[in-house]
Amino acid sequence: MFKYRAKITKGAEIRYISHLDYAGVMERAIRRAKLPAAYSEGFNPHLKLAFASALSLGVTSEAEYVDFELTKNLCQPEVFDKLKAALPDGVKLLKLKPVKEPKPCKGKKHKALMAEVEEAVYEVFAPLTGDWDKAAAVIKKFNAAESFTVHRVTPKQNKEIEVKQYMLQPVKLSMCGDLVKLDMDIALTQSGSVKPGEVLDGLCQQYELPVEYKRALIHRKEMLGQGKPLIDLV
Amino acid sequence: MIINLEPEVLQAVEKPARYTGHELNAVHKEWDSVGCHFALALPDVYEVGMSNLGLKILYEVLNRREDTACERVYAPWTDMEAIMRDRNIPLFGLESFHPIKEFDFLGFSLQYEMIYSNVLNMIDLAGLHIWSKDRAEDEPFVVGGGPCVYNTEPIADFFDFFIVGEGEELICEVAENFIQWKNAGRQGGRQGFLRQLAKLDGIYVPSLYNVTYDKKGLFKAIEPAVPEARPVIYKRLIKDMDSVPFVEKPVLPYIGVVHDRIMLELFRGCTRGCRFCQAGTSYRPVRERSKDHLRELARKMVDATGYNEMSLTSLSSADYSCLGELVDDLFKDFEGEKVSFSLPSLRIDSFSIDLAHKMQQVRKSGLTFAPEAGTQRLRDVINKGVTEENLLEATSAAFKQGWKQVKLYFMMGLPTETDEDIVGIAKLAEKVVRKYKEVTGKWGVTVNISVSCFVPKPHTPFQWFGQLPKEEFERRQRLLKDSITERAVKFGYHDARLSVIEGAIARGDRRLSQVIYQAWADGAKFDGWSDLFKNEVWHEAFKKCGIDITEYNQRTRSFDEALPWEHTTPGVSRDFLMREWQKAVAETLTEDCRRGKCSACGVCPSLKAKIVDWRRENV
Ligand code: SF4
Repeated sequence: MFKYRAKITKGAEIRYISHLDYAGVMERAIRRAKLPAAYSEGFNPHLKLAFASALSLGVTSEAEYVDFELTKNLCQPEVFDKLKAALPDGVKLLKLKPVKEPKPCKGKKHKALMAEVEEAVYEVFAPLTGDWDKAAAVIKKFNAAESFTVHRVTPKQNKEIEVKQYMLQPVKLSMCGDLVKLDMDIALTQSGSVKPGEVLDGLCQQYELPVEYKRALIHRKEMLGQGKPLIDLV
Repeated sequence: MIINLEPEVLQAVEKPARYTGHELNAVHKEWDSVGCHFALALPDVYEVGMSNLGLKILYEVLNRREDTACERVYAPWTDMEAIMRDRNIPLFGLESFHPIKEFDFLGFSLQYEMIYSNVLNMIDLAGLHIWSKDRAEDEPFVVGGGPCVYNTEPIADFFDFFIVGEGEELICEVAENFIQWKNAGRQGGRQGFLRQLAKLDGIYVPSLYNVTYDKKGLFKAIEPAVPEARPVIYKRLIKDMDSVPFVEKPVLPYIGVVHDRIMLELFRGCTRGCRFCQAGTSYRPVRERSKDHLRELARKMVDATGYNEMSLTSLSSADYSCLGELVDDLFKDFEGEKVSFSLPSLRIDSFSIDLAHKMQQVRKSGLTFAPEAGTQRLRDVINKGVTEENLLEATSAAFKQGWKQVKLYFMMGLPTETDEDIVGIAKLAEKVVRKYKEVTGKWGVTVNISVSCFVPKPHTPFQWFGQLPKEEFERRQRLLKDSITERAVKFGYHDARLSVIEGAIARGDRRLSQVIYQAWADGAKFDGWSDLFKNEVWHEAFKKCGIDITEYNQRTRSFDEALPWEHTTPGVSRDFLMREWQKAVAETLTEDCRRGKCSACGVCPSLKAKIVDWRRENV
């Protein structure tokens, strides 16, 4: 098997499709590209795809990562061109690299993509509804806070998450056109993480950050491991 | 104007991708670059609409024209509708996001009667006048097509015109005529265009006719009011299936839809002659595509989508003359590409089982058969040429191949049905259970029986027959339930309340449009979704309009009564239908004309059509 890692986007056109559907988009694109894909065994063979981290519904990204396997060792330009041509609106192929497996004698395989990702960088845009100074004060308070807790309510669970443990950098506030922009650098760990939307929601509810939460747009800028973009780890 | 949906709208609704378009193979054209804008609607939610084959065909056919742009539109789910109404967002096309009001045509695919409330709702959400007579010059023409055109009268007053029969050629003629009329300065206004259109074969313009009723209030006649209108509109039909365009680049949805696979249409028509079946009379005669053409289409569609599933669709796919060879060829063509093939319906014989086995190599999901009635006598009445032995042979072949689940479809309330026939359903299902034990030596099979309530349909031999009242359906459902003693038999039945309303509308006349309007105005929508169906609203609507529902559903018509649906016809003659009714009562069978003798239904001579069946050609 020959493994490749692709850095792709999730554009505004398809921001409202789920992670599972996004995976389906990639699966069909690889099939359309007529790449000799490797399939899982079993009754219902599936293409072997591995993603770094699921993106929430509504979030765009310029740094999604997917690993896939081919049964033939094709050269990078061929795979790149074929895949690029088969992708639909909303997905662009930015980079592609073959994944070099460590020497078999070491008895190890290359780490799974999901285990490699440690950090995700986001930009959050939202209309300002009040005073800029107030917004700046809120962010300052948040950055200085010892801890900050948000509630995650899903049909299955209702839990409290301490956010600050995941904030790798202070949140940066700026203006971008008419919109407020918040830069967030969030840790993804084996035991969990927090979503940028949850941080924003918490800031609005608990610190009265003067932005229109409902109209916020979130964008993922990069995903890193060992401080490097995931594409540079292979 | 372009509709721009705010994130707060999309974040607030279930499955926002229903409304955001941009799917692969969707066709986007510059708005001003074409002379005709056609919106094609299926009045149900996106996932259902995206699964409709007829609309996929029309979408491609229209978009292949340089002068026309065709877009899709579906019924917004109730959460989205509430937001749209609240914020005054009009219904829009999924390609350009232009409001439907800016289109030239809004075309509805009408699949079954209980979707009519959604049609009205969509017309209203688009900001158009509900009644065609009220529409202004600049509003789109509202056009209907699909199976329901064989009785358009209950909805005639909402539509500007109907396309009767197979639409791939006719819809292009409509677009051409429209562009000509527009370029010539819209002569005669809306009515001028409609009168011109009425001259085309297969076009029915309801406003160009006068309807009369007799003293007793029964429908008497529908007559042309202008010279362009024809007394009878025959369906359009494609004579050579290999010469018309088919889907080559289906729009690929991002989210899962009901039929999330390629649909390869093998042939049209089915002449097995089941006497309850409207599809059986309305798509005659059988016309097959050639095997090589089908292989070519299959290749194109797989390449254009990346789908790994393909359904070989038709009314009875197992009847395709070269099915065995086609399947072998497709296996070869797609070797190593992990494409799986399926048949939507199985004939009750071992050929079908072997084929299904071959197609589903490993995964043995349930098999579905449709004996339709519980006793041989009643199966003879409906001309279902299937015997108990056929079913037991087929199921035992299936059990030998490893299937453990069988689904059996039946109907309840068929003409001449007695309690014995109902109990017969239970007995038949139990015989299948015992067959499993006999074949495998084990218990552990599940036999699901699904029983629908019979709705007599126009242009079938049972079109005169009075439908059972709801209470009687329910009594027979209880009787059947009590007759089942095997635990392996699982019984599911349809809501009789829905079927009796469908029964009224299916054979309704123009006066029912008031009822449909009233029901919609009082909140009926998505009636086909059991949790949203509002039974009382419909009955209230009949009452408010002073119309006795039983006159339409329960009343048996006499043979000399005029019927309000005979002017839009698939071409089967009244004589044939009457003959078939007599034969039904006499429990005698009629042969399938596909490979047997012609039963003189009238379609071939009246439409100058002929059967295309490759096995027949070769003998
Ligand atoms: S006219 Fe004869 S051959 Fe043609 S569809 Fe009818 S029964 Fe069949």
